[in-house]
This record gives sequence, C-alpha cells and structure tokens, in this order.
Amino acid sequence: MAVQRNISNTKTLNYFLNSKWVSNLSSHRRFSSAQPPELPPFDYQPVPYKGPLADQVFEKRKKYLGPSLFHYYQNPLNIVEGKMQYLFDENGRRYLDAFAGIVTVSCGHCHPEILRAIEEQNKLLQHATTIYLHHAITDFAEGLAAKMPGNLKVVYFVNSGTEANELAMLMARLYSGNLGMIALRNAYHGGSAGTIGLTALNTWKYPIPQGEIHHVVNPNPYRGVFGSDASLYAQDVQDHIDHGTSGRVAGFISETIQGVGGAVELAPGYLKLVYEMVRKAGGVCIADEVQTGFGRTGSHYWGFQTQDVIPDIVTMAKGIGNGLPLGAVVTTPEIAQVMAQKIQFNTFGGNPVCSAGGLAVLKVLDKENRQKHCADVGSHLIGRLKNLQQKFDIIGDVRGRGLMVGIELVTDRKDKTPAKAETAVLFEKLREVGVLVGKGGLHGNVFRIKPPMCFNKDDADFLVDALDYSMSKL
Amino acid sequence: MQRLVTSTSRLRSAKDEFSRCRRRWFSPMPEQAASASKNEEPSFPTLPRFEYSPPRYTGPTTEEIIRKRKEFLSPSMFCFYTKPVNIVHGKMQYLFDENGRRYLDGFGGIATVSCGHGHPDVVRAIVNQTSKIQHSTILYLNHVIADFAEALASKMPGDLKVVFFTNSGTEANELAMMIARLYTGCQDVISLRNAYHGNAAGTMGATAMCNWKFNVVQSGVHHTQNPDPYRGAFGSDGEKYAKDVEDIIQYGTSGHAAGFIFEAIQGVGGIVELAPSYLTSVYSTIKKAGGLVIADEVQCGFARTGSNFWGFQNHDIVPDIVTMAKGIGNGIPLGAVVTTPEVAKVLTRRNYFNTFGGNPVSTAAGLAVLKVIEREKLQENAHVVGSYLKERLSSLQDKHEIIGDVRGRGLILGVELVADRKLKTPANAEVLEVMDNMKDLGVLIGKGGFYGNVFRITPPLCFTKQDADFLVDAMDYSLSKL
Repeated sequence: MAVQRNISNTKTLNYFLNSKWVSNLSSHRRFSSAQPPELPPFDYQPVPYKGPLADQVFEKRKKYLGPSLFHYYQNPLNIVEGKMQYLFDENGRRYLDAFAGIVTVSCGHCHPEILRAIEEQNKLLQHATTIYLHHAITDFAEGLAAKMPGNLKVVYFVNSGTEANELAMLMARLYSGNLGMIALRNAYHGGSAGTIGLTALNTWKYPIPQGEIHHVVNPNPYRGVFGSDASLYAQDVQDHIDHGTSGRVAGFISETIQGVGGAVELAPGYLKLVYEMVRKAGGVCIADEVQTGFGRTGSHYWGFQTQDVIPDIVTMAKGIGNGLPLGAVVTTPEIAQVMAQKIQFNTFGGNPVCSAGGLAVLKVLDKENRQKHCADVGSHLIGRLKNLQQKFDIIGDVRGRGLMVGIELVTDRKDKTPAKAETAVLFEKLREVGVLVGKGGLHGNVFRIKPPMCFNKDDADFLVDALDYSMSKL
Repeated sequence: MQRLVTSTSRLRSAKDEFSRCRRRWFSPMPEQAASASKNEEPSFPTLPRFEYSPPRYTGPTTEEIIRKRKEFLSPSMFCFYTKPVNIVHGKMQYLFDENGRRYLDGFGGIATVSCGHGHPDVVRAIVNQTSKIQHSTILYLNHVIADFAEALASKMPGDLKVVFFTNSGTEANELAMMIARLYTGCQDVISLRNAYHGNAAGTMGATAMCNWKFNVVQSGVHHTQNPDPYRGAFGSDGEKYAKDVEDIIQYGTSGHAAGFIFEAIQGVGGIVELAPSYLTSVYSTIKKAGGLVIADEVQCGFARTGSNFWGFQNHDIVPDIVTMAKGIGNGIPLGAVVTTPEVAKVLTRRNYFNTFGGNPVSTAAGLAVLKVIEREKLQENAHVVGSYLKERLSSLQDKHEIIGDVRGRGLILGVELVADRKLKTPANAEVLEVMDNMKDLGVLIGKGGFYGNVFRITPPLCFTKQDADFLVDAMDYSLSKL
C-alpha cells in the first residue's frame, strides 16, 4: 500500500506509520525508490491549528514585510508548531526538519528543559540590563568559558551573529592598531555595514562603503583551483598582506565550514598556516563559529578545533540558545583590555532569559551527549550519501562532518556546472515527501543538511531515501 | 546574618516612618505638600504599598557574582552604585534584590520595560508561543510576524507600513542607514552631536559622544550642532540650529545627502528634547538635498512621551524611516525598522536577512505589548503621571540650587545637576552621591548626559502618581542630605 503524498490527515498517516510494514523501513537495503519513503514514527500529536492560513499570512507578509523578504518553496509552507527534530504545518502534517531554522535549533524544537529554563526565568525577571548584577549572565559566561581552550575566557553577550562579528572586527582593529581585515571569498559573516564588508558573496553585498577588506582565494577542496593543497591557498593570504596592505593587518576571520556558502569545509591544514602569517603581520585570528559551534561537527566541540588551532577571538550565535536571539564573543583578557578604553554596551545582551536559555542549552548538549551523537549519525548520513553519489551523476560532491553536511549538485561532473534548476526542483520534491532541507552556495546548487542535533539514524535514512526517491523522479 | 539584621532594622524604621507619613501621603493637594515642605526638612520617604511578596532567592550571592563578572565578562562592563545591587526579580514597576527588598524602578532597564516587569499578558504570550514554536526563520510562513507587522503599521502615520525586524536598536539603525544610503546613492549621513544610535561600524559613526566612539574608521557621517535648549548656543531657537545642517550640506558634501537621523528626545545624551521648530526646518533642508529623514524611536517610542505614541509626532513631521527597539517587546531582544513601500524596494537588489529577526516568540511578545499599551491606556498614564512628576520635579528645582534643568515629557524625564546655575558646571560627584542615597531609600534611576550629570527617569509606563511622589520625595531627601 503506497502512502499517497497528498495525505495530510494525521490519523491516516499515523495508521500507516504504526503498521508492521513501517518497522522494516529503517533498513535502507529494502527501500525501493519506486515509492516515497515513510517518516520515522513519532509519538506526538500536534495541537490543532486555528490561526490564519498560508494564503492569508502570505498576503500580509507581502503587504507589511516588504518586497525584499524572500521565502522557501513555490507554495510557501506555513509552519505553526515544532517538536524536537520535526515541524508541523497548518494541517498537522509532520515534516523532518533537516535545516533547524538555519542551523539554529540545536537541542530540538521546544526541548522541554530549554522551555522550562526560559519559562522559569521569565516569571522572575526578564530584563534589567547589566548595570545591575544578576547571576544568570555570569553563570552562563562561566559555562561558555569552560568550553574554550587556551586563554579564551572573557565573554561579551550580543543579540546575533552579525553583532558578534561586528564586535570582533572592532576588537581586532583596536588591539592591533591596524585597519585591514582578511576574509575568505564565499564567506558569510553578517548583514550590517561592517560585516557586509567581510561577507564575500555578491548576492549578499549591497553597494555601500565597506572599508579595507581583502578577500582571499577560498581553500575550497571541491571547486578551488588548488584542490585540497592548503599551502598554495595560504600563499594567497601572504600575497595580499605583502602587496595589498601596509604589511600589517588587523585580523583574519573565517568559518571552518562555510554555511551560507554551501557547507564548504576549508582544506585541511589551512588555518594553521594562515594563523601564523596573520599573527606575524600583527593581526588577530577570529573564528566565526556561528554555524559550526556547540558540537555540531561531531569530532570536536568547536569547528576551529578540527583544524587544530586556537583563535584569539571566537564568535557564536544561532545554536547557542536553541533559537533565542543571542550571540557571544569570547576572547582573551589581553584583547578584552583594549575595549575598556571606552564604553561598549549592549542593552539586551546577556539578559536573564537568554542567559538562562543559553546555559540550559550547554547542559542539555552535554547531558544528551550531542557531540558524539552528531559524530555517529553524521558519519552514517555521509556514508549513505556517498553511496547515493555512486547511483546519481548529478551529485557532484558530498562533504562536511557531523551534522553539518552539504550535497552539491552539478550537471557535469568534470566541469562542475551548477545544477541550479534541478536543485530547485528536488528541493520542492523533498518538501512534498516530508523533508525540509536548506539551500546554499553562490549558485544555489548545494543542499545544506544541518538538523537539530537530536536527529537520529532513522531520520538520516528517511532523508537519504527521500533524496533517492526524488532524484529518480527527475 | 548581618544583612538580615540591617534589612530588618531598616524595615522597622521604614514602618515607623510610614505611619508618620501616611497623613501627608493621602493628602489631596500635592502642590500644597510641596510648598509646605519648601522651607522645611523633608521627612523620610516611604515606598507606596504593593500587595506582593517576592519568591525567596537562593541563588549566588553578590560577592560571587562580582567575582565572576570580573573574571568572565568584559572589563569595560560597568555597574551602577558604589555597592552594586543584585536584582533578581521584577513585578510591574518594582524590582527586588536578593534579600527580597523592594525598589521602585525609575529606569525601566533603560526605557526598555514598557508594560511592567513580568506583565502577565506579555509573559503568557511568550510562554504560549515558546511551547508551540520558538524559531523557524522567515523562510517559512508563520502568522505571528505578519500579525505584529500589521499592528505596528497601524500605529504609523503616512505611508509607513513596511516592517523589517532585527534584534536590537543598533541593528535597526544600521539597517536604516544602509537603506538611506542605497536609496539616495549618497553616502553622507547627518546626525546630531550628543546622539546615541548604536555601537556597530555604521552606527558608531552616527553616535556622537566621544565616550562611546572607539578609535576606528567611521566614515560618511557629519555631526551637526545639537539643538539643546539648555546648553545650546541658540537656546530654544530651533531654526537657528537648523542652519548648521544647511551649511554642512553646502560645504561638507556634494550638495546631496543620504539622510538625517535623530532622536526626538536624546536618551543616552541626557534626555535632551530637541528645540521646537528644529525638525520642521531640517526636514525641508534634507528633502531639498534629496535625503531621507530617519527617526530613532528606540527610547521615546511606544507611548513613552505621553502626548503622542511616537516622539517624532511631538514635532509635527512624518519621517521616511522609523527605527525602534527597547520598549517594543518589554525586554525581549527585538528591534524594527518601518519605512514606505517605495523606500523598502532598495533592499530587493540583494539579499538582506536576519536569522533571529521576526521570530515567533519575539513578535508574539511585541504584539502583546501593543495590546497592553492600548488596553491599559498606558499612553494616557504616561502623559498624566509624567506631567505630574515633571511638575513636582520643577518644584524641587525651586528648592534646590543644584538642579539646573528639569526636562522631557511623559515618562522620559531628565534632571540635570549643576554646581553653578549660570556657568552650568556639571555636578558629577553629587549625582553619584544622590543616586546612591536614592538607592538606599529604595529608588533606582538612571544616569546620562555627556558629562554624566543628568538623572534619567524612564520607568515602566504603569508608574503611578504615588510612585512619582515617592521618587521626588526620595530625591528631595537625598539632595537635602548633600
């Protein structure tokens, strides 16, 4: 009995899910790409939705949220409820969330312990600012510092990745006394005046003055001209310093696995070489952990640890609060000292509720062993995807680690021509089957798979089966 | 144990004072009370009654927190008071410390807690939404962001109805400045000396007080003379100050400007209300130069000025872009930029995205705040109580030479202390002493101004007349003890 795509009736869906037929589905060898795969079972009923429907909401968005606001899918999806690694639409239909609100929902949607921490703190005190004392911010700062190597232990709280990277850039310029910043082509670091300069993807750069920024060749193992040879890429950094600057720079910033840029993992050994060059030129090294932090890479807690370096400044946001508007910058006492020259204040930053939520996230990730879980499920997922790559020519590259995975689609494996149209079609098909993934890369031809870290092997199998099914229908 | 003894004895003495002051407290003519006490020693003021017991606090002590702050938090992080206060709980316009001692919150977490600490409607909205879905981004639909945008738009005059959500005032102003630069194709932005607009690369440029400006490149901003009625060269003559803007454009730019950004009442700068007629003059100058006018309503928005919902409405202009944060969500990290559909189009050239901006929980809180402000008539309250408070503060000015100026409107008020009324020498040391004394009496207020000599009074908008009396009495008492 095939499960029709158009069944949105939860009762019928649950009937099929609970039938004996489903229990065999976790073995991928039995999956036949002739029919769509089944969502793993999930013992939870969403609350019946009584709010405005998709069309109504979409109309209001167009009217009140501006023409530049974009959305996923031809038929925009109205997401009204979330539970762990699943999302529910207005009809109560369940979807596997393989994108986590852009790598943001780290513990899982509405994780009970995070909810409890937020609710309890909300009842006590939501906001008073740091001009008064409060223990939540200090407890959280201590918790974060404990996760850091080296002398990284002074924490600044902000409200987003953009704010964190802005602050990091300010610190770099003040500490070094130099102006030039170095960032990688294909990077994304934020949407404000300063961070737009660091960002290096034309679709995200508005034509405004962006100060002295040098964008170096991206150490992209799949598309880069030097393949995985880190030293050749690193040479470009030295060239920029020697010829494009006064010989002295403010700093270097990078993501260890580029997110918006399409889950591109930097060539191994790259950061070690570059960090040395930058420090010789008087600059500081900033690791943007907005997407890779908190155990997501599986092998390590922080992305930069996969390259065996210790940065001078670390920025983070997204997963830090499981969705709470929160960001942070961690640095050494030495660098923090320069900030003491003037007043630097953030009204909302470090508020009791977000700090309580953040601390709860740290505890949950430790208690539930999420880093190891990401390593296990991630390698299973990547393994299955690599098998799929054998089956379909359109899969040009499967990359990433832990639960930060990218699948690049190309129409020609040699030329690596981006399969933009096919990606768009598959993206829609996956949604129909019940999987919500992300999209990225400059040409929009990379699937980004970065689910809540409670994503398990059954979910991974379902995802790959869904991809298998959708690709065979192309 | 020591702490407990001090609190109990203080409580006992407060109780005694309370029964003594009750007669004055219930007197129907506050002016009478003020003039009566003009020449006599003010009696020990007491907190208005509040039927509520805070839960017992069992968390880390003040000392532990101070130690951890020094070790793990920014060294530039500062604290009010010689003996920092550990605030663990809030209820409406009151705050409680670790000993359960109640304080009147005269600062509102810096004009941020608009409805009141832990306002039940706002907390309910947050808790309900958090248990449904907290975050999914605007890549998917969700009705909460659309409903809130619609409600915000309905509070706006003119064609201001397209909303962008951010997470802070800094992000909102950064976006506004970028929009203005893109729309006009010009880079020159004009802001007022003494302004505060944020701390990121662009907004630090617009901010114009040296204490808040780090030694980094901040290009494209011109700082014009501040139309400060108290300290400005032209007093309250708005039009004279406006000429400086014209000069900047004529001599400092290509003749065209990207825009002009202002706070109707400068917050960090010390509650300076722009001289009347200033904005109408500048508005036409900027329009002639092809620029956009940006109203920073981060502190004076959301009914705080009492006479109008937005600060700019007190100056009879309709800006092209309005930015807001702080009070918008009663403390939840949220900011917004509202502009016209025409101006909003510029962002379609490329992608602008904000991951957390417009998330269901923050927007649910925002919507709840708007409803509370309307239902509880907080704008009217801000107007009535604010005017009353300002009146009492002005009476205090008659009594104490050190009060140089009382200004502001609604519940965004400032009291500037000077050592000499003619020279207007800032009385910094006295400000700190009075603030400390007021804290000991049970009133928390803020501080600001370029010289740090201005009291900032921006309480939650549920502030009452009794609270106002208590605040003024506490200030009176503290000033008399100088």
